[in-house]
Amino acid sequence: MFLRSFVIQASFNYRTLIGTGFAFVLLPALVRIFAGRPHALADAVHRHEQIFNSHPYLAGVALGAVARLEAEGATPGTVEKFKTAVRGSLGTLGDVLFWAGWRPFCALAALLLYFEGAPIWIPVVCFLLLFNTGHLLARAWSFRVGLRYGTGVAERLRRARLQDLQRFIAGAGAFMIGLLLPLSVGQYTQGMTRALPWLLAIAAAAAIGLRFGAAARTPVALALAAFAVVALLWGWLS
Amino acid sequence: MSWVIVALLGGIVGLDATSVAQIMISRPLVVGTLAGFLLGVPVQGALLGALFEIFHLSILPIGAARYPEAGTATVAATAALSAAPAATHGSAGLLLALVFALGWERVAGMSVSLFRRNVERVLFAPERRPAHRELVRRHVIALSLDALRGVIVCLVGAGAGTLLLRAAAPFWGVEAVVTLGALAIASTIVLAGALTIFGGWTTQYRVFLLGALCGTLLLVLR
Repeated sequence: MFLRSFVIQASFNYRTLIGTGFAFVLLPALVRIFAGRPHALADAVHRHEQIFNSHPYLAGVALGAVARLEAEGATPGTVEKFKTAVRGSLGTLGDVLFWAGWRPFCALAALLLYFEGAPIWIPVVCFLLLFNTGHLLARAWSFRVGLRYGTGVAERLRRARLQDLQRFIAGAGAFMIGLLLPLSVGQYTQGMTRALPWLLAIAAAAAIGLRFGAAARTPVALALAAFAVVALLWGWLS
Repeated sequence: MSWVIVALLGGIVGLDATSVAQIMISRPLVVGTLAGFLLGVPVQGALLGALFEIFHLSILPIGAARYPEAGTATVAATAALSAAPAATHGSAGLLLALVFALGWERVAGMSVSLFRRNVERVLFAPERRPAHRELVRRHVIALSLDALRGVIVCLVGAGAGTLLLRAAAPFWGVEAVVTLGALAIASTIVLAGALTIFGGWTTQYRVFLLGALCGTLLLVLR
């Protein structure tokens, strides 16, 4: 099941989200539990193909708990209630911890190494090692918690203080952005004789970014495209 | 440029983005460096990857949201950079490749939505085998289709990007320092804007300013 969990999202769709993937990962447990009962196995497979969603790294919590419930002979209603209860929180928790926390933090650490002049392979290796240490630990931990605590996972997740962890990562990420901004500017203006106008422009750019946040991304992309068009027209006409 | 390498990378990053493992080899910094190394433009690929990574810090693949896809766009843009004449590997080529990547990521993202809608036809077709065998078969088919999607997006993107760079780069009429300045300004805005994902200025200004102070000190002491 653990190895199968690495492909849980392969059949992601807008109707059942990772429902089919959930059933795929759970299948070895279902085959064992319902051995010799093909109709019960087919029913179980169909039940678990229904709508479900979770962050892929934390899906092990639900998978482990459901495998335990099925093995203990819980009714389909009980299993379904449990899945409905956890799916929202496992998704949100994982998104906040990993996509909005750990991953950008690791990327910023790698960018820091890159802009500090490390050989180009070092930021890549450091990023992959750092990120995937957290990633694999989370996967393994989530299966362990799910299998061990069953329907008691909610209390276990609360005790794990994951929100404290998320707050710490967010603070570290904000620090990294602050650290990276002057260092990347330094890289650009290195060796320039008349760097002051550019320094001022880049300082203004940082202020604009802080003011408008992530919403600045699309206008900046469009502005770059417009700059490219102007640069090409200038070159073509001169 | 080797189309085989582009196709192979396309399949791998297409899968890593969502379907398989998600060990982040599809991140722009990683795949830009890797693609650059394999296609003969390691420095340019790494720089393109680093800049595009900054643009993707604040893209969050949450739930069933539609979002631009970074990995395949990075491979396509790096391939285009490698196929362009060597004279265009400087700042002009880099900016054009980045602009192309920022456009192609939308196409790649649309391909993901299209793939997810169409995979439903495979998943919810009438069953012809026992449920557990059908489940495995359909899951594997979905995985294979996602790999194919990645290959197609990368190959078509590499072709389109190559045409763009070859046609446009010779006409670049702006000095390298100004071009790099535009890239620095753009990436600074987006990098600063990424503070939003960690809570934004109101929540994190103390920590952010502490980081900025440390960064400035490091710069001054160098």
